[in-house]
Amino acid sequence: MIETGLLMIFLLVASFAAIIILSLVIVKKMDKITAVRAEGQKLKSSLDEMDEQAKLIVRTDMELNKTQEDLDKKITGLYSLQRLSRAISTTLEEGQIFQMIEAHYLEELGFEKACAFLWDEPGKHFELNMQTGYIREEAEGILSAINSQKDKFLNLIKDEKTLSSITRSPSEAAFKEKVPVIFKAASFVLSPVLPKEGEKGLLFVGTDNGETVLNEGDEELVTILANQLGQALENARLFDKTWRSQQGLEQKVEERTRDLSRALAKLEAVSRRKSDFISSVSHELRTPLTSIKGYAAILLTGKLGDLPKDIRERLDKINRHSDELVHMVNDLLDIARIESGKVAMKKEPLNLKLIAEKISDLLSVQLKEKHIALIIDIADNAVSISADRSQFERVFINLLSNAIKFTPEKGKITVSSHKTGDGVQVDIADTGCGIPEAALLSIFEEFYRVDNAVNQEVKGTGLGLSLVKHIIEAHGGKIWVNSKIGSGSTFSFTIPNEA
Amino acid sequence: MSINIGIGVSALKDHIEAAKDAVVQARVNLRSSKAGLAIVFSSPEFARPAILKTIRSLAGSAQIIGSSTLAVLSDKGIHKHAIAVLLLSFPDTVYYNSACVNNISLAQGGRAGEDLADKLLYGFKNIRRDLGIIFSDGLKVPGSDLINGLQEKLGRSFPLAGASASDNLAFKKTFQYYGEEVFSDSACGVIWGGKFNFALGIKHGWKPLGKPRVITRSSGNVVHEIDGEPAVKVYQEYFSFDLARLKKELRLISTLYPIGLRIPGEKEYLLRNLLAIEDDGSIICQGNVPAQSPIRLMIGTKESCLEATRLAALEAKRGMAGKNINFVLVFDSVSRYILLGRRAGEELAIIKEYFKDTPVLGLYTYGEQAPLQSANYYGKAYFHNQSVAILAAGGQM
Repeated sequence: MIETGLLMIFLLVASFAAIIILSLVIVKKMDKITAVRAEGQKLKSSLDEMDEQAKLIVRTDMELNKTQEDLDKKITGLYSLQRLSRAISTTLEEGQIFQMIEAHYLEELGFEKACAFLWDEPGKHFELNMQTGYIREEAEGILSAINSQKDKFLNLIKDEKTLSSITRSPSEAAFKEKVPVIFKAASFVLSPVLPKEGEKGLLFVGTDNGETVLNEGDEELVTILANQLGQALENARLFDKTWRSQQGLEQKVEERTRDLSRALAKLEAVSRRKSDFISSVSHELRTPLTSIKGYAAILLTGKLGDLPKDIRERLDKINRHSDELVHMVNDLLDIARIESGKVAMKKEPLNLKLIAEKISDLLSVQLKEKHIALIIDIADNAVSISADRSQFERVFINLLSNAIKFTPEKGKITVSSHKTGDGVQVDIADTGCGIPEAALLSIFEEFYRVDNAVNQEVKGTGLGLSLVKHIIEAHGGKIWVNSKIGSGSTFSFTIPNEA
Repeated sequence: MSINIGIGVSALKDHIEAAKDAVVQARVNLRSSKAGLAIVFSSPEFARPAILKTIRSLAGSAQIIGSSTLAVLSDKGIHKHAIAVLLLSFPDTVYYNSACVNNISLAQGGRAGEDLADKLLYGFKNIRRDLGIIFSDGLKVPGSDLINGLQEKLGRSFPLAGASASDNLAFKKTFQYYGEEVFSDSACGVIWGGKFNFALGIKHGWKPLGKPRVITRSSGNVVHEIDGEPAVKVYQEYFSFDLARLKKELRLISTLYPIGLRIPGEKEYLLRNLLAIEDDGSIICQGNVPAQSPIRLMIGTKESCLEATRLAALEAKRGMAGKNINFVLVFDSVSRYILLGRRAGEELAIIKEYFKDTPVLGLYTYGEQAPLQSANYYGKAYFHNQSVAILAAGGQM
């Protein structure tokens, strides 16, 4: 019994102890659970906080991305506008200008549909010039819709106004609602194309992407594009006009050139006939002249008997005039020969100074008679020229004789020379009466004589200077005169090195 | 033996001329080899049988597969409104077969996948198959369903890389090319076997943000509830937008902040774009979203996106471990194109950095198919969004 009682007591105590230990364990566990719960709560709070922060990050990130997207869109738009402008400016063909608006440019601007119309004033209707993003039937449908309410569209051109999905003008509200229906687009920009002259028109760009939100930037880009199209049309039309007028001008020049060539050919033929005529007449004249001069000379010798004084005087005249006539006929024949190329210039190296001196010797009597000083200002070592000696001497004789003829007594004649770029220039200056300006151009023409006192007194054929000109030109040179009434004349000519 | 390849890209306005131009360029690069397979990527406007007939007439008896794309990626750059032709000439030691299934939406994705697998396996009875490439209409059938069907027949760990064809961001109609025909609502593909090496790199670059959540109710590609509340509430809370504003900004939100699915046993998150928000607060995703999946909101930047491209290229290159690389195919998400904007070309430049003179051809997709962890490419293939999948391939020497 005692053992049972002790066992009971022990069991009781043990149970009690176990309960106490269990309670302690439970309490501890409870503490742990509470701590874990608290930790969990803390973690949840942290997660919630983190989530809140994540929300802030996401919202900020979204804003940043939208700004970036807008910026990207603008940069892309500007970039493609620049490339499109460059493409448009490469053509001066009106028909090609609108065709430059290719699909990829439009896409970069944020659109996929476009069409352009020009107003045909005589026909009083719009004409379709370009379409992208529409099939032909759709574009034709749009064109007919536009023409059925053309006044509204013409007003945009007249008012130089751009209409778009974001236009806020109440007066345009109804029209703004119609445009997307006509063009089958959710968002659009419709801008006038306004060249200063000729047909004006409209450029439409649009998208049926419902997510696209147009802004002022888009509207402005399309307006700039429309302006550039207007400018390009203007340039093309101006170019076309200029080109046509140039073509007309070229045609006229061609026609005139043809006329002139024909006239020149005629003149050359006439000139050839004249030369032939002079040549044959001169030949015909020379034979009887030779006889006349021969008989006159025989009569003057007195071999056929003495001649009365008055007959001798008249025979003298016949003889002198015959000489003049022979001289004249010879000159004419020479001119005709040179003109027709029948006389070949026998070129040889000549010393200018020696020739000038030789001719001055020949003319010394006339120089002395009029007390004219002849100055030959040609250096000893002046380059020798290549020319036909006898012809060149005739040039000097003619020019110096003329100078002597028109230089008053005690006057001065200077013969000088200098090298030019491609040859030699010779100047023969006198202190004579000078040549009127009006006569300067004609002086080298055949039979032309300046109307002055000297010519009225002294006889001449009017062939000397013409012959000189022909000889100089046959050597490849040029001849001209500088003169002023009362200040003398300077005859200058050039002979090229390779002459 | 090397695989001879030739790539041609053309953006000529006349589509037939462009197709001719692309094939002629490709044939020049292919030299005298006979093309056995032609892979064609083009902008949607090129999707006409006449184009494929032109290619066939110039490329001989080559099998033709391909798809439409927002833009073509190639060594020549990124081209919208263009056509690209990749001509491949294989040595006798490489086996391949292409096939196509139509009306995949009628057959349901899974069944269509199985049908396609059956056709692809034709002639591969005693030959080990190595890799499959699929182009499908992701607008008609969720890419995930198609993969599941393909894997039923090809094997759970059979490496698959694929792309859901894209259009010009209208999300209206995509095209698949097979032989001389153009299809929509279709899937076409090719499988390779024999002495054929390949390596795959796939990455997206998006990082998880905010607290983890769980999809508590979903069906197919529709998330009904997250943490017991309408799915859209998560996005409303994060952006502080009402439903209308959220719907309006959906494209940008979907590109920048997709849903990240945590897949058991995988390190990477699988991304899901948001296609639409229903009035009851459900979110329609591009790809299946299994219930009870742990999810996070994901965030990405241009830099993280480009870094991911670098990692994917590196993985593909490392995977080849010095083996012969004859060509590189790139399946790049259109979302990345949108996110990168003017910097889209940098992604291509990064890929070229790793593969130097190896010809590269790629397309933009509405979804990519590939194993999650590319280092272990014999893993289960998933349907991805927002990723860049880079496939390096070559014949065994």
